[in-house]
Amino acid sequence: MSEAGTTTGPGAGEPAPELVPLNAIFATDFVQILVPVTTADTMAEVAAAVAYHVEGKRVRALPYDKVVIYHGERLPAGLTVAAAGIKPLDHITVEYDIPEGS
Amino acid sequence: MALLKREEWQGFVRDVDWSYRYVDDEAVYPEWHSGTGKVPREAWAAWEESYKVSYPEYVATQREKEAAAYAVKGALQRSGVWDGLSEGWKSATKMHFGGAAVAEYAAVLAELKMARFGLTGAWRNMAVFGQLDELRHASITTFFGHEFIGRDPQYDWTQKAYQTNNWVAIALRNLFDAMMSSANVVDIALQLPLVFETGFTNLQFVALAADALASGDVNFANMISSIQTDEARHSQQGGPTLEILAEHDPVRAQWVVDKTFWASARALSALTGVSMDYYTPLEHRKQSYREFMEEWIIDQFIRTLEQYGLRKPWYWDEFMRGLDVWHHALHMGFWVWRPTIWWRPMAAVSPDERAWLTEKYPNWEKVFGDKWDVIIDNVNAGNVAATLPETLPWLCSNCHLPCCNATQSRDGTWRVRDFSLSYDDRVYHFCTIACRQIFWKDRSGVNHETLVDRFLAGRIQPMDVGGVLGYMGLTPEVMGDDPDYEAWTRDYQGRPAAGLVPAAQP
Repeated sequence: MSEAGTTTGPGAGEPAPELVPLNAIFATDFVQILVPVTTADTMAEVAAAVAYHVEGKRVRALPYDKVVIYHGERLPAGLTVAAAGIKPLDHITVEYDIPEGS
Repeated sequence: MALLKREEWQGFVRDVDWSYRYVDDEAVYPEWHSGTGKVPREAWAAWEESYKVSYPEYVATQREKEAAAYAVKGALQRSGVWDGLSEGWKSATKMHFGGAAVAEYAAVLAELKMARFGLTGAWRNMAVFGQLDELRHASITTFFGHEFIGRDPQYDWTQKAYQTNNWVAIALRNLFDAMMSSANVVDIALQLPLVFETGFTNLQFVALAADALASGDVNFANMISSIQTDEARHSQQGGPTLEILAEHDPVRAQWVVDKTFWASARALSALTGVSMDYYTPLEHRKQSYREFMEEWIIDQFIRTLEQYGLRKPWYWDEFMRGLDVWHHALHMGFWVWRPTIWWRPMAAVSPDERAWLTEKYPNWEKVFGDKWDVIIDNVNAGNVAATLPETLPWLCSNCHLPCCNATQSRDGTWRVRDFSLSYDDRVYHFCTIACRQIFWKDRSGVNHETLVDRFLAGRIQPMDVGGVLGYMGLTPEVMGDDPDYEAWTRDYQGRPAAGLVPAAQP
């Protein structure tokens, strides 16, 4: 229901982004939530869309980048939802990318 | 003329089983309603209730119960008792009224189904008393809740809640439709009288009665205690049914008992667990939810299983671990999504309350304390808006409660994990492994769509917070909110608080 994480319209010749509602959990939060993204969103934007509902609200914000984990794989920040093959109703986890030794 | 002894007339007046000349037995007791399955039809003749009652005896006893319950209500109606009750306790009663009043009427229909399609006269006779009991429960619960509508509009949900598309109400209908409405009578007898009424109503009617008395709510304690005396009688339909089914089809008996115990445990962790460990004022709590479950439910359930030659359910370890997690997470869920419920949830996480929770649940701080601390710091920073939801929790496709059950990793951390399956070209998510397993085995049965399913199908318009609240029937005067933020945040004021979201600029 939030607008966070959605992007602007497609360029010429590109298909219009399609809505992709996801089952998502942010780090140590207590509950999975519904987060709508689009096929054109990058993983950085997806992570921000999930974090919007939780970070600093129920999970204390940390000064690290965030990473989307899908089927156990860490996805690159620039990869789009469409390119990652993420489908509506799929589950993703968003974690802080905490450097080793921190 | 000397009176006949009971044993000389009981069978004659009770066992009304005709020999049909114009139709066969299947026409009168069709399988889809009566559900004899692998049990030979004649085996049901051995069905025998242990506590026998005649209609005149029943009426005389019930009259006394009704007179006593209403006498207490009449005496207290003009007193100031209600005004002195805590908001937390009032929330426990609103939750009960809304969750139980119309569900009791659904139980009327279940008892009537057994009264018509039960496979022996003794069973049908007992079910007639059972439906009269449930009719009384529906009436008394509705009437007792109705009294308070003039003082607080949330009590209007006593009758309204179960008939709305509120997510809690959908979860309850999902539970009780499977338990009471859509099943055949053999399964109903195991699901409703045996598992739910012999076991789980103790939670709501015995545990909550004790907390009600301690909280000063004599009227509510009086009402639910009166109801529980009926449960003790008509719940005995379960034992004889299980005895016969377990002898002829133990696999079915085990499955029906297992899945109903699980579904009941999930629902009651939301209703009773939250009421006992959070809404009941700290000084009035008698036992923790876990302690009560262990003493009143688990021991008895294990004894019942052993008595009938059944095994512990396959999910037992997951269930026992859930006693330390489920209701705490659901409490946080009710609190965060408080505009979507018809009571005022107390967060109840002051230092003293957290000390009690930690004493009863040693992992509580590790699993839940960090989230509550961020919420507390936001409230103390004047940013209550940050604690309000802007999306939906994901609801389990089996129990319809939020997917919020953290489990411990090998490294000691607690995380909520995804339990999903793909079926019929879509992905389903579940709160637990057992919910996924039960859904899979029962997938051909009727499954309600969760609120999230309905939202994503576009049936809730507009697709925003206002649209969702409207779909659930919530109006501004009913939507829940914490009744006293300061009560549980004041002791944390002034402490350093990093990592909070900035307050939105007006």
